[in-house]
Formats: sequence, structure tokens, C-alpha cells
Amino acid sequence: MKRARIERWGSQLLQSRPQGTRPQCLYQQPQHPQPHNHRPQWHWQAVRAQSTTSTPLSSPSRRPPPASHAPRIPRESLPSPPLSAARSSAKLSALHARLSLPSRLPLETLARALIDPSADPNPDLNNASLALLGQDLLGYYTAEHLLAHYPRLPQTVLYAAQYAYVGGKTLAAVTREWGVEAAAEPGGEVDPGLLQFKRVKPGTDISGAAAGETIGPDGVNRSQWRLGMGMRNVSGDEFGDINASGLDAAAGVTLEDASKTFVRALVGAVYLHCGQLSTKRFYASHFLSRQLDLSTLFAFRTPTRDLSRLCAREGFEAPVARLLSETGRLSRHPVFVVGVYSGPDKLGEGAGASLDEARTRAAAAALKSWYLYSPEEVTVPSEAEGKGDQGKRWVPCMVDCGEVIA
Amino acid sequence: MPLTALRTVSKPQNGVGAFILQCKRLDFHYCDWAGSSRGMNSFLKGTLPAFAKANPQIEITVSPRPTKHPVIRGHYINGREKAICVRKMDPNQILQKAELLRDASGEKLRREVRRPVKSLNESVRGIWSPFHAPIEEKRWKI
Repeated sequence: MKRARIERWGSQLLQSRPQGTRPQCLYQQPQHPQPHNHRPQWHWQAVRAQSTTSTPLSSPSRRPPPASHAPRIPRESLPSPPLSAARSSAKLSALHARLSLPSRLPLETLARALIDPSADPNPDLNNASLALLGQDLLGYYTAEHLLAHYPRLPQTVLYAAQYAYVGGKTLAAVTREWGVEAAAEPGGEVDPGLLQFKRVKPGTDISGAAAGETIGPDGVNRSQWRLGMGMRNVSGDEFGDINASGLDAAAGVTLEDASKTFVRALVGAVYLHCGQLSTKRFYASHFLSRQLDLSTLFAFRTPTRDLSRLCAREGFEAPVARLLSETGRLSRHPVFVVGVYSGPDKLGEGAGASLDEARTRAAAAALKSWYLYSPEEVTVPSEAEGKGDQGKRWVPCMVDCGEVIA
Repeated sequence: MPLTALRTVSKPQNGVGAFILQCKRLDFHYCDWAGSSRGMNSFLKGTLPAFAKANPQIEITVSPRPTKHPVIRGHYINGREKAICVRKMDPNQILQKAELLRDASGEKLRREVRRPVKSLNESVRGIWSPFHAPIEEKRWKI
């Protein structure tokens, strides 16, 4: 499999300062009122942080005065801490050590991953581009893990499982568990080890954004529509949501959104600086190691009907529910144990307070055992990436024909 | 839609993958004048640099607290803090207290008596069920 050229991406994204041509940001917030480079003060920010490199600007008209004669800009006037402050921040290096980040990841990049676009709209200084890369990596690693290990997972459950591993709430919890504190207000004088973002004003209605306000790419508000799975597959994100946050990034974001962006940006930064192996290790130790019981994600509406459709599709005998044991039929708390059989094979078993409930539970158990089938030996696609002996030999994964549609 | 899915959040298991030390900050307070800080002052000069180097994941701050007893205060990821007064202690004792704060989880101290063992993992053996027990076990005596 062909591998992404991370060193080329790295040189593009990781330039600490703009050179003659500004590096193109992969992702820009669409809701900015003005393009970034139309604001004069951002030009000055670029000049400020340029003291760390010796690369001059190529256009003489925009050349800044030499650093020694440049007027000293007070840190309080900057929207986010300068890169030069990263080396002297105890919080930042403690965070670096706490996460056991590779030493190839510099503190400056970790500091940049902590700057939300709402704090600093300059795409060269905030974490938007890193977050975009990290979001794709997190989605990719989670999806390949789930699809390879649980090939029969229905699409809705797959989306829910993705959300449980790398969704917004989980990433916010991860940020909390990493001990990352948020700055009360972003600014140049703030410790760069704090999460820098502009908070949304109290009283702002964020319900639409939080619940996935469904505004499609064509700008049509579909919040009142019932979204089918086809629509979610085509134009949804990795969780099947079709959302563009209704809030303007300049007006502030919630702590959850800022934390989410930070974790994604950190994953992207690890990928750019340390490569794929380190990223996979980081992902496995921080995200895949979390506990999730996939069988709790299912919510069946008509399990008995689904089960008979499944048996018909797979050529099994039609399922029959049989009472295995019971107690207290005439009391106020009876318990029935029902098994669902297809011919001589017991597909599932469930206990309930009524015959019908027990049968439904048994059918649901049978369906779960079908959907949660997991092959023993699995090679995920990213393991086979890399040239020569770097990657494992690719063994094709099982691909299921799809879920039961009743 | 015959099948819908429930959205949840996966649960953390610190130490299963990565291990995050729960102590995130240690504050050392001393006094230049008071005699109760004598051990603390020599700890700050002699032992603390090595301690800080050995524990890079902890942010360490040192600040004076004039005319007060010396204190080590630990801040934890769960938001709690623990403070230990180290007056009249020698540097070795202070190091022990600092290590105690480093290794603490930040939770309140409570007795772990008669609390059932909880696990997120499913039992391999399964849960005993009266409906599946052998016949002779089923005959309950009331």
C-alpha cells in the first residue's frame, strides 16, 4: 500500500514562520468575516514570531524592519502566546512528559496544538490544520479497527462505536484525564501550557450546534428532516452527523469543542513529527485502550422480525422460541427463560418477566451474537502500509454482505 | 429503522494503555526567616532539583510564604488538592512526603472494607443463574 509522504506534509505545515509565499493552510474556518491576511495586526504577529528563523520574506514591500529596530510588541496585545514562550513553560513540558510524547515532538508544536482557532484566527499559529489531519487519522484508525474486528457491525452501530471511541464527548473527557487546564481568556501573556480558546458567551444558544445542527454543504437547514442512512453515509462525517456548527468561531467555542480540536491537533502533530508508527502507538495507548462494550450500543425495535429475516436470508430454519424454564408464573414477579432455536441449534437465550419479553430478549441476544462476530486473525490496512519489510503482509479482511433489513 | 444505536462514551482505563500520573502539580512553600523551614530550605537547595528531574510529568512551583510553616501542596487531575505541612522536618522526611503526594491519586482516603470488587470486564465463568443450575441445587430451602 502506498504511504503518505509525511515529510513533505511536515515541511509544508510545520514551518514556524511564513516565508516568501505563505504556506497554504489545509483548512480554514469558513465563517471568518474577513480573510486573515487582510488584517494588519496579523502581519505584525508574523514578524514577531519570525525572530526564531532566519528565512527572510521575499517581497521587499512587506519586509519587516530588522528585529533589533522593530518596536517591541507587548505580549498582552498578541492573541496567543508566542512560540518563544513554549520553551520556558513548566506546564507545557510537564504535559509533554505526562503524555509520554516522543522527544521528536517539539514543545512549540505542542503549544500550537493548544491554540484554538477562536483564540488566534491566524492559520499559521492556530491548530486548525493539525486538527483536520488528526481528525482524519483518528477516524481512519478507529474505522479500520472496528470494521476489521467486527465485520458484521450494522452501520448505525458502527457510527455510534466511532463516536464512543473518538467522538467529541470522548475527546473532551480525554483532555480532562490528561490534566490539560483551560485558560480563562486567551492572550499572549498566558502560559502556553493552557488550552487557549475564546469561550462562548453565557446565554448563547448552543443547542443547535451541540445536537448537530443539520446544515448541509448546500446551506439548506435539514434539522427538521429525518436523515436516512444513505444521506448520512454520503454527506456525513465519521459519526454519521451532517453538521456545520451554527456558531461563529470568532464568537467563541465551548470547552468541549476546544478540547476536541486540541486532541485532534495533537494526534496530527504526532503524525507529522514522529511518523505513522508512533501515531498508531499513541492512538492504541490512549484511545483504543478505553473500555467500550459494543453490545450495549444496540437498540432493537423488532428483534424477532429481524431474526426471522436473518434466518431466511442465511438459509437457516425459521427461528422458534421455546420456554426453557420458568418460576412464579402466578406470582407478581414471574421469570421466564426462553431460548430461540433454529432447528436443533440454539441461537440465543433471554430471561424476562413475561413470555413475550423473554422471547424478545432471546431474539435480541441471537442478533447480537450474529452482529458481533469477530474473526480471530485480523490484519488492519494500516499495518500493511509501508515499503518492504516495514509493513505486514496484507491478508484481506472479511467483508460481510450487510445488515439485516426488516 | 429497525435498529438504532445508542451513543455513549468509552470508559478510561488508566494504565491499561497509557499511564497518566494523577499528580499534576506540586507547590513548595517555604519561609526564609522561620526555623520550622530550615529543613525545607535545605531540601529546596539540595534535593528538589533531582526530584524534579526524576519526575518531569509534574509541574513544580516554589514560592515563599513568609512567617508561616512550610507546606507542600499537590494538585491532582481530578481537581482535588492535598496539602502537607512539613514544619521542622529534615530533607529526607520532606522527600518522603513529596513522594507520597506524587504517588497519591487525589481521591479522598477511605476504608476499602466490604466493598465488592468491581470490574468492567465480563466474567469468564458467567453469572450463576437459578434457572440453569443442576436439579439438586435448585431446591431452595426457605
